[in-house]
Amino acid sequence: MILNYIKIAFRTLLKNKGYSFLNIFGLAIGITCASLIFLWVEDEVSFNSDFQKQDQVYYVPTHQEYDGEWRTFNSTPGPLAEAMKTEIPGVVRATRTKQRDFLFTVDDNGINRSGRYVDEDFIEIFSLTFVEGNKNEAFKNPEAIIITKETAEQLFGKNTKVLGKTLRVDNKENFLITGVIDNLSKNVTFPVNWIAPFERYSRGKEWTNGYGSFFADTFVELSLEADFTATDALVRGLLEKKTDDSNSKAFLHSIKDWHLRDNFENGKQVNGRIVYVRLFTIIALIILLIACINFMNLSTARSEKRANEVGVRKAMGSGRSRLIFQFISEALILAFMATLVSVLLLFILLPQFNLIIDKNLVLGLAKPVHIIVLLGITLVCGIFAGLYPAFYLSSFKPVEVLKGLKVSQGSATFIRKGLVVGQFTISIVFIICTILVYQQIQHVKNRDLGFDKDQLISLNVNGTMIEKFSVIKQDLVNTGAITSVGLNNSGVLDGGNNGSGLEWTGGTNTEDVLIFFRYISSDFLETAGMELAEGRGFSENRTKDSTSVLITESFAKLMGEGSAIGKKVTRGDTYTVIGVVKDYLYDDMYGQSDPVLFFNYHGEASYMYLKTNPKIATSDMLSKVEAVMKKHNPAFPFEYAFVDETFNAKFKSEQLIGKLSQLFALLAILISCLGLFGLAAYTAEQRSKEIGVRKVLGASVSGIVKLLSKDFLKLVGISILIAIPIAWYAMGNWLQDYAYRIEINWWIFVIAGVVAILIALVTVSFQAIKAAMANPVDSLKTE
Amino acid sequence: MINTLLSLNEATRTVNSGSNKVALLDNIDLQVKEGEFISLMGPSGSGKSTLLNCIGMLDNFTGGGYTFLGEPVHSMKERNRSKLYKEYIGFVFQAYHLIDELTVYENIETPLLYKNVKSSERKAMVADMLDRFNIVGKKDLFPIQLSGGQQQLVGIARALIGKPKLILADEPTGNLNSKQSTDIMELFSQLNKEGVTIIQATHSENNASYGSRIINLLDGKIVSE
Repeated sequence: MILNYIKIAFRTLLKNKGYSFLNIFGLAIGITCASLIFLWVEDEVSFNSDFQKQDQVYYVPTHQEYDGEWRTFNSTPGPLAEAMKTEIPGVVRATRTKQRDFLFTVDDNGINRSGRYVDEDFIEIFSLTFVEGNKNEAFKNPEAIIITKETAEQLFGKNTKVLGKTLRVDNKENFLITGVIDNLSKNVTFPVNWIAPFERYSRGKEWTNGYGSFFADTFVELSLEADFTATDALVRGLLEKKTDDSNSKAFLHSIKDWHLRDNFENGKQVNGRIVYVRLFTIIALIILLIACINFMNLSTARSEKRANEVGVRKAMGSGRSRLIFQFISEALILAFMATLVSVLLLFILLPQFNLIIDKNLVLGLAKPVHIIVLLGITLVCGIFAGLYPAFYLSSFKPVEVLKGLKVSQGSATFIRKGLVVGQFTISIVFIICTILVYQQIQHVKNRDLGFDKDQLISLNVNGTMIEKFSVIKQDLVNTGAITSVGLNNSGVLDGGNNGSGLEWTGGTNTEDVLIFFRYISSDFLETAGMELAEGRGFSENRTKDSTSVLITESFAKLMGEGSAIGKKVTRGDTYTVIGVVKDYLYDDMYGQSDPVLFFNYHGEASYMYLKTNPKIATSDMLSKVEAVMKKHNPAFPFEYAFVDETFNAKFKSEQLIGKLSQLFALLAILISCLGLFGLAAYTAEQRSKEIGVRKVLGASVSGIVKLLSKDFLKLVGISILIAIPIAWYAMGNWLQDYAYRIEINWWIFVIAGVVAILIALVTVSFQAIKAAMANPVDSLKTE
Repeated sequence: MINTLLSLNEATRTVNSGSNKVALLDNIDLQVKEGEFISLMGPSGSGKSTLLNCIGMLDNFTGGGYTFLGEPVHSMKERNRSKLYKEYIGFVFQAYHLIDELTVYENIETPLLYKNVKSSERKAMVADMLDRFNIVGKKDLFPIQLSGGQQQLVGIARALIGKPKLILADEPTGNLNSKQSTDIMELFSQLNKEGVTIIQATHSENNASYGSRIINLLDGKIVSE
């Protein structure tokens, strides 16, 4: 019996190649699209899942209150880890960590790798496995360093025993390799290429031992029996117990939430990447739905061709359930073929998709979960798409269809129209979203930043760059490729160093306001293209301006009416304001400029900024800068970043959404059009007699094209009306997340509507023209 | 003694046409004995096809009694009725109604699939039938590759494969030329001699004369026998 169905299914497919193509291809695109999304979701969800102790490992961030609002920071005081371990019963292991970038050199081979100074418990908390060395001995030596297998291979080549070798770090310190650990999975929130004893970092740094400085990342492991809620409550009270300060609360953040639920607002976990995971999962399901709708539409449209078969089979003794079973198995066979096609498409498209989303997703046909999901999609699509046609087709009465009576299509036509409206509604919503996301990104990118990100490059400060700053600066300017050089302790786009508890003239309740600090060299403002609203910048003579500060306009506002020049700011010492810098944006490109306080000191600088001469070619400029840096700071490799590129990288997640919504809009429209194309073909065929009669009576080709297209355009029109409020509401919600955002303009809806109508028109008119051009004699003879 | 195959007792079939009730079949009384070959005659719209469909249980009478092999069809559930006609009734259509996507062999085999006959048995039965109708050489062809007469031959083979007691043929030669018609009618009378009861609807006096009994219908009533 099944064999009989399969045979029929294949022969029906072959007989109607056009329909089969539309059906299989449409469904295949849907499945491909959904598979891409599910692969991405799998990747997102898999973060940190390779670590064994999923229920026990927690990160310890802190909520800190400023101005009545709780902000969340990663850093904790140094002694917190030990205190948690000894004073909180559920905590069995704890480690302080401090992330660092190391330049490793072996002979002439130098590579930069990030890793962490950690306490010994780190090894057990993350269940690190040693390929070389012993995990109980590795931390005994204060000079120890443990590197990953990958790092070992990059430094020493493959199959080399590296245990006991000495490793030169940053060209000034020696470390002893006491262990090699297995590589961590790529998908971890806190990647390490090496770990070394924390004492080596804290040696000589007295401040790391007190509760005053928040600088370390703390990780803990709870015992299996520990009750999370009770333990978390104890953790939240611990800082107050130690410092009497109720404004800082450390808390437990589960390893399972590190990647997807790491966003906190006012002390509460909200949004995070989980929102995108959910959103895209829903989109995947919607696209599958569109593809299934296509399938239903085309199947019921073809019902007349199948009606006779249904009649005969019923007359031969087939019950309705057998027919339903037959049609569903046909749908399943089609769905299965669509899946095969989509696997092929996946292999072709995955590399491109990886480029777009900047990941390395792989479709593993040997992975049971991938196979199961693919088969699951096939099964669900086949059954879902086949169900309605099956019930519809099997309901035909044999007496009617065998007599050659027209099958009454009332309900089916209505449902079919409804399905087309559904498809187009979704497509139009996607079009509108695409336009709005693009607009919003452009809007923010074109925002006045308050500084000039173009022609600006940044170098990480290391080695002798600070000591030799004046020489380096002079040599760089002498090359003619660089016009200005400045130092800063923070990245110009970053949030960075901040604090509260300051006092200033004209301010009340000043202690609670969060102020960002910048330690700059005198020419930083000029280099970054920042402008002074009033007063003057720092002079080159540092001693002259050692008690002077610059503030931004938003800071000046806090000082009340009148010029801020000459007013005082107290942060330990008291400083005099000598200039007001125009507000500029940093950290959150969608937010407002928080107040900034500039000090004239570059001894702690982390970044050197160079303003390049636009007349010199980039490659030329870079080689000139490199020559200067090699000369004065030979121990370190020359590494640089263009600030405009760093700026663009800040829009990664928005750009991802932008690109994906473009892709999905395109696919949704494509699938919908395939369906519309099939339906138009069917309608033209259905009405061929009517068209023949009309032509004989003198109708023109254009008149008939209009007649056939009109009905479909009406459907698209309805879709537009439904789509607009949905898109308006959804995008309004999305934009709420951005303080700096676009207004939704009415003309976007007009554009989306016109695009949809044009696409539908092109699709339908192809069939309509074909039908209208046909010789009426042929169509009338067949009846 | 000859058994009664089916009997109709004041059987009526009405449809609603707008607000009017129209009787397609009006108080039909009919006894059919096993081994009869009945020809239904009458102009278009006289109710021949409706009567065949109702007897064949594809359609139902709306009033009166219908007994088939002693069982009251009019009061039966759909499931039992379907069991009954699967077992005892074969259909032959004017437009053949073969399934285009199936070969000759598979078309003939279809009713057996619905009767859940075992595969080996099916093969033997279909081979038998192909042999008997001399169409072994055409078993892998599709209906579209056959002439009308050959298609109808397949249609009859398909109707016979389930070994029915009753064959219902609605204008079986309506789409055929006279030579093909004669062949088909010869075949019917041969089958009838072998014991199959046949009821055919026809316009043709000539075809009707093959039957043992002619019933004339007009406006849903039997006007003469």
